[in-house]
Amino acid sequence: MTEAALAFHRRIDAALADAGLRRALALTAGRLAGGRAAAFDALTDADACRDDARRARAGAIARLDSLLDQFAREASARGCTVHWAETAADARRIITGIARERNIRLAVKSKSMATEEVELNEALEQAGVRVVETDLGEFVVQLAADRPSHIIAPIVHLSRQDVATLFQEKLGATAADVADIPSMTALARRLLRAEFLQAGMGISGVNLAVADTGSLCIVTNEGNGRLTSTLPRVHVALLGLERIVPGAADLAAVLTVLARSATGQASSVYTNVMTGPRRHHGGPGAGPAGEPDGPEELHIVILDNGRSRVLGTPLAEILYCVRCGACLNACPVYRLIGGHAYGGVYPGPVGSVVMPGLHGLEDWSELAHASSLCGACRDVCPVKIDLPHLLLEVRREAASRQLAPLWIRAAMPAYSAVATRPRLYRWAGRAAARLARLLQQDGWIRRLPGPLGAWTASRDFPAPAARSFVEEHQARKAAAR
Amino acid sequence: MTPRPTRVQLFVTCLVDRFFPAAGHAAVEVLERYGVEVHVPSDQTCCGQPAFNGGFAADAAAMARTTIDVLSHSVDPVVVPSGSCADMIVNHYPGLLAGDAAYGPKAKALAARTYEFSQFLVDVLGVDPAAAPSGPTLAYHASCHGLRGLGLREQPRRLLHAVAGERSADLPDAETCCGFGGLFAVKMGPISSAMLDSKLDAIERSGADVVVATDVSCLMHIGGGLHRRGSRVRARHIAEVLADPGHD
Amino acid sequence: MTSPRERILSSIRDGLLKACLPAEPNGAARRRPDSPAPPSVREMADRFSAALTALSGHVHHAAGTEGVARVIAGIAGAHQTASFISWDDAHIGCPGLLAALAAHGLERVTYDVSGEPERRAADVHALAGVGLGLTGAHAALADNGGLVLVGGPGRGRLASVLPPVHVAVVDQRRLRPSLEALLREEPRLLDAGSNVVIVAGPSRTADIEMTLTHGVHGPKHVHVIFTA
Repeated sequence: MTEAALAFHRRIDAALADAGLRRALALTAGRLAGGRAAAFDALTDADACRDDARRARAGAIARLDSLLDQFAREASARGCTVHWAETAADARRIITGIARERNIRLAVKSKSMATEEVELNEALEQAGVRVVETDLGEFVVQLAADRPSHIIAPIVHLSRQDVATLFQEKLGATAADVADIPSMTALARRLLRAEFLQAGMGISGVNLAVADTGSLCIVTNEGNGRLTSTLPRVHVALLGLERIVPGAADLAAVLTVLARSATGQASSVYTNVMTGPRRHHGGPGAGPAGEPDGPEELHIVILDNGRSRVLGTPLAEILYCVRCGACLNACPVYRLIGGHAYGGVYPGPVGSVVMPGLHGLEDWSELAHASSLCGACRDVCPVKIDLPHLLLEVRREAASRQLAPLWIRAAMPAYSAVATRPRLYRWAGRAAARLARLLQQDGWIRRLPGPLGAWTASRDFPAPAARSFVEEHQARKAAAR
Repeated sequence: MTPRPTRVQLFVTCLVDRFFPAAGHAAVEVLERYGVEVHVPSDQTCCGQPAFNGGFAADAAAMARTTIDVLSHSVDPVVVPSGSCADMIVNHYPGLLAGDAAYGPKAKALAARTYEFSQFLVDVLGVDPAAAPSGPTLAYHASCHGLRGLGLREQPRRLLHAVAGERSADLPDAETCCGFGGLFAVKMGPISSAMLDSKLDAIERSGADVVVATDVSCLMHIGGGLHRRGSRVRARHIAEVLADPGHD
Repeated sequence: MTSPRERILSSIRDGLLKACLPAEPNGAARRRPDSPAPPSVREMADRFSAALTALSGHVHHAAGTEGVARVIAGIAGAHQTASFISWDDAHIGCPGLLAALAAHGLERVTYDVSGEPERRAADVHALAGVGLGLTGAHAALADNGGLVLVGGPGRGRLASVLPPVHVAVVDQRRLRPSLEALLREEPRLLDAGSNVVIVAGPSRTADIEMTLTHGVHGPKHVHVIFTA
C-alpha cells in the first residue's frame, strides 16, 4: 500500500474511535438526509425534476467548450473581467495580484469549496491580505485553524460546546455571548458585520454560471454571499469551469433540486444572480441614474485545475456534480468516518471520485475502496450521477496501474483462472473447504489467517459445507432416479 | 403475454454452493412446489463479482464468459438466489462485454432472462404463499444490489408477509447497507465492522427471531456478527423461510 | 504563444473528443405538465403565505397607500426603529408611499455607495444603524414564498439585506406559480439588472448542531405586504 493509503487507514481508525464525532455525524447527516427525503417526497414529480436537472448538466458538459467561451464573452460584454486559471497556482497568483494592485488589506469570503481546493486563503495572507470567512461554519473553521468536514455543513464535526469554547478563547466572548446558539450566532453577526463594512474585496465561489447572459448564481442561507458581493468595491468569483448551464431555464431546473438535496429546503433563502458589476447608468430609456450600490469591479476566475483532463477520462460524468452534499449524507461510510478522514477538500462518494480525478490515482485511489458500493449515493444524487460506477472506474484504473494491495493483485487472477475452469473449480473448492473445516468449531471459524483476519477481528466466518450444493443436488437427483 | 415458464436454470452462486447449500436446496424445493422444473448446470462457478468490484475487469470478464457459457445451453430463465449476483448478470455483464462481438449479444440475452429468486416468484410466477400458522418473528434486511440495482422493494416483503403475517418485525434502517461489500469487508475491516454493528443493533432491537435477506453474502456477514455476539437471532435466506416457514 | 484561455478551451475540446459520457435521452427537457388551469391569484397568495409563514416570514394585506404606510409604521414601531433605506417610490408600486411614511415619522436615509475606495467604507458605515429596508418586488413565487428583486437605478441591493428588518410591498398580480414559470414567461429576466435575487424568508443558519437560527447576516424579519 502507498503511504497515502496507509495514512487514509490511520485517519479512518482515528475517526471511528472518536465517539463525539460519531454522535455529531449521526445527528447531522441523519437530519440532512431526512430533510432531503421529505423535500423530494413533497414534489409531485420528483424523478422528472432530477431528470430535468441531469439533462441541463449533461447538455452543458457535452458542449462545455462553446458554453464556456460564450459565458466569458457575455460576462465581459457586461463589464466583468474574466481570468483563466489552468492550475491552482494560477488562480492564487491571479487573485493575489488583483488584491495587491488595489492595495487591498481585508477580504471577506463567502463559503467556497473551489477556494479551499486552490488554498487561496493562505496565499492571500502571505500577500498581506487578511481574509475573513463569513459563513458561520467557515468562520468557526477559520478560528479553529481547522478544515471543513462537509461540503455544505462545514462544522458537522463540532458540538456547540466546542464552538463556545473556541469563541471564548479566540474572541474573548463572555459567558452571555456563548450562552446558547442564538447568542453565538448574534456575536458572529456583530463581529462579521464590522468586517463586511471595512473589506475592500469580496471573494466567493459560484454555484452555477449562466452562459447566455454571463451571469453568476450564488446561493446562501445566511446572506453572507450577498453582503460579500455587494459591500466591498471589488468582487472576485472563482468558478470551477464545469459549473455552467446554457440559460435561465437550465438554471431553474438545477435550482429546483439543489437546495432540496443539500438541506431539504425548497430553495435557499438567497438565490443571488450577478450579471456584471454595478451599472452606473440605467438601461436604455432608464435615464442617467445608476445603481446605488454593488461592486465596481467584478472579476471572474475560471478554474481548470485538472477538470478538463477529467473530461477525457471514464470519470467525466462527475463533472455534472453541483456539490449539494446529498451523497455524503446518504453514505453509510461517510456517516461513520466524516469528512476529514478522506483527507481531501471533497469528501464522501463524490470526493472519492473527484480527488483521484483532479489530483491523481497514486495518492487518492484508495478513497474509492472506502465504499461497499451500496448505491445509496446514486439514489439521492440530484443529477443522477452513477457514483458506484465511477468508484468502480477509479478502482479499475488503480488496479491496472498495480495500485491494489499485493495479495489482491495475486489472488484475483488466480481466482479467475480457477473459476473459468469448472472442473478445477470443483476440485479446488473441495480442497479449500476441507482445509478451512480444520479451523471450524460448531460450523464457525473464529480466526482466519492473513489479510482475511480483518473479517474475524469482529465477526465469525461460516465454515464451508462438507458437501457443496451442486454435489449434493446431483447426489439427490441420482438417488431419486 | 409470455407463457408461464415450466423450467428454469438455477445459478446458485459460489457462496451458496460452498457455504450455504441449504439455501440452494430450499430454492429448488420452493420452485418445484410451484410447478417449475429446476435444472442445476453442474459446471457453474462464480459470476465474477469479486473481481469486478475490485477493479479487475479482465478477470471479471473471463468469469462472465464462463458463466454465460454455462447458462446458455438452454434458453430457460435463470433464477439466482442472490440479488447481488443477479444484478451483476443483469446490469453489469452487458457493459463489461460490450466490446466483445461474440459474448456481448449473449450477455444481453442472458441479462434479459435472469431473475433474482423472489423477483421470479412474484413477478413471473405470481405466487402467493400460504400463511404459516406458527413460526418465528421475521425481520427483513434489504440487500443493496437487489434493492437498488434490480428494484427489489416489494417482492421479498410481500412473500414474507404472506407467510408470517403479524409475525413481521419492523427493522429500522432496513435499507441501509450491512457493510459486507465483498472485499470491502476485509479491505476496510474497521468501517465494515462499524456498519455491521449498527445493523446488528437494529436487528436485536427489532425483536425478531430471524433476520431474512435475499442474499447469503449479507447473511454471512450478519450471521457471523450475530454469532460472534452470541445473539439468539438467526440469519436465514428467504428461500429457506419459504421452504419451511415454521422453522426457527 | 497561446493564452491560458486558448489552452483551457483546447484541453476541453480534447477531453470532449475522448469523453465517455453516458448517453442521454434526446429531445428537449421533459416539461412537467403544469396544473390543468393556471392557479388563481387567490390560490397563489394562499400558497405564498403558507410557504413564507413556514419560513418564519410574515404576510400582511393592505389597501391604499395609507393602509400600507400604517402596516409599515406598525412593523417599524414593533422593532423600535424610525429610519429606513428604500427603493425609490416609483419602483415600490405604491404611489406616494414614501411621503406617507414621512408623515408617520419614519425617516428615509438615502445613499449612493461611492465608487471611491476611501469614501466607500464611510458611505456604508453611515447605513450600519438603519433599522428597516423597504422594497417592492418584481414577482412573488407561490411555491417557495420567494420574492424576486431586480436591482437597478432606484432599486438598491442593500435595502433587502443590510437592515435587520426587510419589508416588501407587492401587488398580488405579481404572483407567479414558481421560478420556472416566471423564467418561461421572461427568459431574459436575469439580464434585467446587474443583480437579480430571490429572497425566500429571513436569513438563517443551521451550522451549529443543525439548530435553526434566524438573522445571521441578512434580515432576521421579513414582512410581505400584499396590495390588491
